Amino acid sequence: MVHSGPMPNPPRRRPVDRMPESAFQLLVEGVVDYAIFMLDPDGHVASWNSGAERIKGYRADDILGRHFSTFYPPEDIAAGKPDRELEIAIAEGRLEDEGWRLRKDGSRFWANVVITALFDATGDLRGFGKVTRDMTERRRAEQALLERRRLVHHLVEAQELERRRIAWDVHDDSIQSMVAVGMRLQLLADRVPEEHVATVTRLDQAVRSAVERLRMLVFRLRPPEIDRNGLVAALEEYLGDVAPMWDLAHAVRDELEREPPVDTAITIFRICQEALTNVHKHARATAVEITLSTVDRGTLVVIADDGIGISLTRDHQAGLEHFGMIEMRERAETAGGWWTLGIRPEGGTAVRFWLPTTSDTA
Amino acid sequence: MTRVLICDDDIMIGEALHDVLTAESDLAVVAIAHTASDAIDLAERHLPDIVVLDVRMPGGGGIRVARELRDRCPTTRVVAFSAYADPATVAEMRRAGVTEYLVKGVPNTDIVATVRRLARGPFGKL
Repeated sequence: MVHSGPMPNPPRRRPVDRMPESAFQLLVEGVVDYAIFMLDPDGHVASWNSGAERIKGYRADDILGRHFSTFYPPEDIAAGKPDRELEIAIAEGRLEDEGWRLRKDGSRFWANVVITALFDATGDLRGFGKVTRDMTERRRAEQALLERRRLVHHLVEAQELERRRIAWDVHDDSIQSMVAVGMRLQLLADRVPEEHVATVTRLDQAVRSAVERLRMLVFRLRPPEIDRNGLVAALEEYLGDVAPMWDLAHAVRDELEREPPVDTAITIFRICQEALTNVHKHARATAVEITLSTVDRGTLVVIADDGIGISLTRDHQAGLEHFGMIEMRERAETAGGWWTLGIRPEGGTAVRFWLPTTSDTA
Repeated sequence: MTRVLICDDDIMIGEALHDVLTAESDLAVVAIAHTASDAIDLAERHLPDIVVLDVRMPGGGGIRVARELRDRCPTTRVVAFSAYADPATVAEMRRAGVTEYLVKGVPNTDIVATVRRLARGPFGKL
């Protein structure tokens, strides 16, 4: 840090009596969160503290004088890891490692280990200081997070696959059949007695509008082309297609500092689709804006409209919107994020959600 | 009399098209093909004036049929009749030699009018 003004006077130090070594020893012995102990130059345990006893399960009497390879699992011993670690510590001054270690009862824990080589004033190796932390809980949490990411990845993949399958089925089966029905109804309208023509024509119109709705469904189900141009472009393209049909002015504001990974991007796209459908069906809005930004190692998305707000829509009270909302919230929460719906002070509704970055590399 | 070959793998659509076209006194359906290979064979055999052609069909799809017909039946004109309306598919069919493109769901009158217009037209293929 650079100071431009005069330096403030340093606080006055209170003179202290130098603590006796025994006090320092008390401190080390009393620490329970870390195993802190010494090894002699050959790797035999030369001291022990409460933390070591708690983490490794040995009492001082059990372990003093034994070689520290006792703490390593058989595969590490077979690979010569204990000796190699001491060699590295001697050569480089210290060594840090994370890996499995054994407790006295044979159970394993995930340890962070620092071995420091200790030399005296003449440069002779006097032994090693060893500090071990039990990282099992942290590792478990990391593993759980990884597992969750894997599951979310599979879930998104499975959902997309299923959507594609449904889209094909609707497109190649339902729509075709209904088109054929419509063609036949039109033929029929030319042949039935005059008094039935209006009914048949209405049927044909109903079929045709159902075909249109099914086409829209297929359009919504199709996979977003995020791979090609990224999330923002996929959303702009989607809005460019649907907004004119829905008489909605639209904008996508891109404040992303980095593109979310594909899984997350697909989830964001699907939630936006659902939110936009709600805007179209219920909000009576004239404009909608999607803002994407990078916040807290994740992506924050706000879909704001200028409609009548959620509390005024009849459908909301009837619970008809409910399913879309549950789906949006579940998608966000499954991906480890959150989702909210609120009324904007300036009028209209805002859907806000945040998804963490799920890529291991990002 | 304008002679028409129908190519669609959906049997209901094929039959409906047949009934729509044969309801017109100036149009005759020579055959209905349900695969791309059948479509090419039947076109060579009957040399129809017009082929009403689906895009997605077993055996190479409408694209293959349109390309083959351009060489094998140069006087036959092709109308695509497809559930796909995306620009990429339309462009690909046009490049393959399709003169008109109808999206499934258009009124029967549009189908009939398009077939008649193509049959009348003195202009060649694209």
